[in-house]
Amino acid sequence: MLALNTLRGIRVVAAPHVLDATLWPTHVAALRIAPDDIFAIEATEADAAGVAAADPHSIIVDEHGFVGCWLDHQQLEHITRHIEWHAPLHRPALVQGYVAGVPAKIWLTNERSLLLCAGPYAADLMERVA
Amino acid sequence: MSNRRIVVDGQPVTYSDGDSVATAILRGGEHPKYGGTLCLGGDCPNCSADVDGVPYVRTCQTPATPGLVVRRHPSTGNPSFPNVVQADITKTPLSDAVGVTRTEVDVVVIGAGASGTAAAAEARSTGHGVLVLDARDGNEVVAIYGGPTVIVRQPTGMAHIHAHQVIVATGAAELQPVCPGNNLRGIITARAAEQLHASGVSLPDAVAVGYLPADVPCIAVAGQIVRIEGNEHGSVTAVVTVDTDGTQTTTACSTLIVGLGFAPRDLLARMSFGLPVTVVGPAAEKFALPPCPTAGTVCPCSGVEVEDLEGVWARGFHELELVKRASLCGTGTCQGSVCGPHLQAFVAERSGSTPELFTARPASRQITLAEAAADTFTDVFRYSPLHDEHLALGAQMDRFGGWWRPWNYGDHTVEYWAVREAVSLGDVSTLGKLVVTGPDAVEFLERLYPTTVADIKPGRSRYVLLLNERGHLIDDGMICRETETRFVLTFTSGGAANAEMWLRDWAETWAMHVHILDRTMSLAAINVTGPLADELLQRVGLAEPPKFLQHRHTEVAGIACHVMRLSFTGEASFELHHAADQSVELWRALMAAGRDLGIKPHGLQALFGLRLEKGHVIVGMDTELDSTPRRLDMDWAVKMDKPFFLGQSALARTATLPDHRRLFGFTMPGAAPIEGSPIWSAGNIVGHVASSFNSPLMGHAVMLGWLKHTPFPEQVQIDGRTASITDLPFYDSEGRRARA
Amino acid sequence: MNEFVETLLEMKWHEPKSSYDVVIIGGGGHGLATAYYLATQHGITNVAVIEANYIGSGNSGRNTTIIRANYGIPESVRFYQHSLELYAGLEDETGCWIMHATKGLLWIAHTETGMRAERARAMINTACGAETHVVGPQEIKQICPQIDLTGNGRYPVLGASYHVGAATARHDRVVWAYAQGAMQRGVTVLQHTKVTGLIRAGERVVGVETDRGPIWAGIVMSAVGGNVTKIAAHADVRLPVRTHALQAFVTNAYAPGFSGIISDSELSCYVSQTPRGQMLIGAEFEPQPSYSMQSTFNSLASCAKKITNCLPFLRDLRVLRQWTGICDVSADFSPIMGFTGVDGFVISTGWGTWGFKGIPAGGEQMAQLIATGRTPDLIAPFALDRFARDHAMADLGSAGTR
Repeated sequence: MLALNTLRGIRVVAAPHVLDATLWPTHVAALRIAPDDIFAIEATEADAAGVAAADPHSIIVDEHGFVGCWLDHQQLEHITRHIEWHAPLHRPALVQGYVAGVPAKIWLTNERSLLLCAGPYAADLMERVA
Repeated sequence: MSNRRIVVDGQPVTYSDGDSVATAILRGGEHPKYGGTLCLGGDCPNCSADVDGVPYVRTCQTPATPGLVVRRHPSTGNPSFPNVVQADITKTPLSDAVGVTRTEVDVVVIGAGASGTAAAAEARSTGHGVLVLDARDGNEVVAIYGGPTVIVRQPTGMAHIHAHQVIVATGAAELQPVCPGNNLRGIITARAAEQLHASGVSLPDAVAVGYLPADVPCIAVAGQIVRIEGNEHGSVTAVVTVDTDGTQTTTACSTLIVGLGFAPRDLLARMSFGLPVTVVGPAAEKFALPPCPTAGTVCPCSGVEVEDLEGVWARGFHELELVKRASLCGTGTCQGSVCGPHLQAFVAERSGSTPELFTARPASRQITLAEAAADTFTDVFRYSPLHDEHLALGAQMDRFGGWWRPWNYGDHTVEYWAVREAVSLGDVSTLGKLVVTGPDAVEFLERLYPTTVADIKPGRSRYVLLLNERGHLIDDGMICRETETRFVLTFTSGGAANAEMWLRDWAETWAMHVHILDRTMSLAAINVTGPLADELLQRVGLAEPPKFLQHRHTEVAGIACHVMRLSFTGEASFELHHAADQSVELWRALMAAGRDLGIKPHGLQALFGLRLEKGHVIVGMDTELDSTPRRLDMDWAVKMDKPFFLGQSALARTATLPDHRRLFGFTMPGAAPIEGSPIWSAGNIVGHVASSFNSPLMGHAVMLGWLKHTPFPEQVQIDGRTASITDLPFYDSEGRRARA
Repeated sequence: MNEFVETLLEMKWHEPKSSYDVVIIGGGGHGLATAYYLATQHGITNVAVIEANYIGSGNSGRNTTIIRANYGIPESVRFYQHSLELYAGLEDETGCWIMHATKGLLWIAHTETGMRAERARAMINTACGAETHVVGPQEIKQICPQIDLTGNGRYPVLGASYHVGAATARHDRVVWAYAQGAMQRGVTVLQHTKVTGLIRAGERVVGVETDRGPIWAGIVMSAVGGNVTKIAAHADVRLPVRTHALQAFVTNAYAPGFSGIISDSELSCYVSQTPRGQMLIGAEFEPQPSYSMQSTFNSLASCAKKITNCLPFLRDLRVLRQWTGICDVSADFSPIMGFTGVDGFVISTGWGTWGFKGIPAGGEQMAQLIATGRTPDLIAPFALDRFARDHAMADLGSAGTR
């Protein structure tokens, strides 16, 4: 049984070139959800000060809406059985799509992987990949 | 070994290692389907039976395993539905018993025969990853779909294989005889004979016509088969053949081995039109058609005789597709694998040209619905962070707009009165919530909405309609201005996903310099509503709640909230938007602080009634596909003199047209009619009730309803009673309570 | 011989002529029914029906054979109820066996708002002559003993609207019944003849170009499915129509045991058992426009998943064949029938997923329109100019369904 917990961080929406140039502290996992959209896990608004300066219209807000859980290789293997599509080989990589029919994302790193989804989907995701 | 037994029609049948179910049945001297030529290659339907509760399983493709329960299909008519134990609501849902593996490979080769092996070797030699699938190794290819994706049925479950290229090397199927007596028991193809002989199954008194099976003891008989003779048990007793000079010979036999020729085994090839699929070997070959059949069963699946084909031809069905549809020839389990060449020969002789066989459709090998649906999921239900709070408060939950939402907490009237007379909480976490910023934000929203946006001051908000290019309402919500260039927009729960796409599409189309962030699922929201809402909020630390149509970021009960003052219920209402993970804490703090104020949560059922008393429409419930603001009597929300907004030109054009569709308020003594009830006038249906509610406050029915015939009558009949058009809103027409 | 081999019909194919009073493009149900009613009700037999493939090769031979009238707006209910009644009399009228069977249709709901829609449907249906009741779970169980009222624990059945008069008929045989009746009375049916253009004299359409030469006509009707926008474009008529694929599948044949039609409003899937015993299962049309008739596994998998929620016995049935038709879907999901604004060119299109059930009424009404030059009241609401008039016939509650 997966335990999905709230992932705390910030959401940063800004011009793509600004996000391209942004460096994040090493403890932060910066998930590029879209060219103009990053979910930076365990980051604070202070970490995005550069973004705010470079793009005065950027949206920088606390993001507590995702839940997730870190997976070891074996758990990831279990999860990927419920995925019709194939993950890229490079790491780190963010993949987004349906996992067991639930809109979800997986952050793949060499050591471990993070499965995450929007909070309202958590119950169905947990039930389906249990 | 004593456990090598299967059960066939209730009788134990012993099998040998490596036997298929069909082989085991034949070894026991029976026929898996009472009669008909057996190919044992998966092509024909003549070995189909019910295996472990699943009818129509080709027993020649099913390995015999201990205790397998086989029931032969009835000799006439169809098998019954499988027995199903009804699900028990107290238990967990049926789990998907069928597993799925998913793989990706460069090249899939279907068929491990000579041509498949050669094709696989060639693909490997050019450095491609190759996967070879053969039914004899337990890989029954069901179909090739776009992608290409190859769907495979395996003994352990299903495989979905995503390939870059597919090579079909399925070989050829053996022709079956079409002649009188071809339904008898004891007829096998040459390959089947080889297979059975190698398995040690005795083939008594075997006579072979056509090419001979290798190494199978039998008597070869020359000529073409005229008919097959049998005894009263339906078993073959003799074959009658004819020489080229017309001489008929009768040869006694118990086993008739037929080597009549081949047809491409090309179902998979014929269903892959337009896909990167190559067909090699015999599957791609043009074989000579068999002679035009003159008598006997041509289609064993559907039970079609040659005389049936002749009959429909005589009635004017003069092409293969029409002959097929009028006789059902080729529409059964084997999808024309057996009858196809004979049907082609039949039509060719009469029409003078050889017709193409019909397009093949999935599935070439049948799978159950459970196998098709394995690891497939339908709708995702969304849960508000307050879901468990609602359950704890006794809520009956219902799904609405893709979310689980409280329908009521036992008695919606109690909830109604809490809103009207005290204070109540509603979970509005499901509302769409978008942030829009950027130098073009004002211009973008001016184009998007029919109202003026520039004059909304920071800290103020406005109710807005969202129209499409036709001027039809697609959603509604609030605009909250935060700064000169930053706005928070809300949308309906059901419309949120569409609204996000709508905004992004138009931002791109118009090349607007804006940023958009959808916070619908990141933020929860609680609506605090009722005459005591203000007092409740003060108790939890909101010293000066915002005024009507104002909004502010502030803490409530120690939790950061974006507080928006508006009203859907008709009472003073404050929407508290906050981080989803703090929602339970906020909800509990509010419930606790309001206990002595008579606080109650309210569900959708009460909300629908409360808003109806105020005449507020619910998009999609009261509105229709073509509801313009005029039809909703909401022209006040449209500023036609703006330079541009979506739907403006359509509204300008339709404003000049006569119109006879309008949403009105109605009242009627007595109980509310069923929503959807027709509205009658002078014996004609002139519209219908969109929403209705027994107003506890007013003691009569209030309704929103469409009238679609002009002149609009003042009085109408609904549910056999007289109802009157009534100005909206029904309640607090000056809006004092919402502003209080 | 199986009991379903056609033994009653007699097709009389006529040689083509160069000119007809009426030329109908499209030899599917609607085109042939129009020709049939022109001949039987108006004595107009100098008619040609031109079919690019064989008769019934388009959606007339690809649909899920359901006949029903339980729509959401009065105009639609009346039209389809009339069609349903014509269907019920078609065997007597034509002497053909179309395998018509009245079965009743349960349209089940799983939510309060779903039930609200079914209650509304029952009210408006019954008021417009199509008998429909709201039924609860126990009545549903009696009508369909196989149903799992828990919906596999996920989609509990709260109730349904029960459309008493819903029926099925064999799609091919409907086409043939009309074809035979028309041809017997002198109508020419030309198969394997492609219309490549419309012949204009000034603004007026006066004939069709075909790959076998021109054919002149007093009036041309398009009863084309799938490529209607291209045909109409030859007359400079723009249609608010998009074409979408719709998929369905059948299982192998089983002994009779499922007498009704079950339809799930929330999951958009439906099932009935054919006279041969196959379970015929369909879904809603694909969201993206396409002319492709390639079936997809995703459609099969999701439809199989949906339909087995409430009907678990289907899980162990085997899929025989999956196929795809293409639907011309209008901007308001309702059909478009009548004049086009171009003299000599009338149209019957936009049938979406409802074409089969509308064949008799559509044919009868279009024949009347052609014969009299006036739009009959029953189809007046479905005229093409309703879009310009902003009078959509929008039936959202029924959109996208069978």
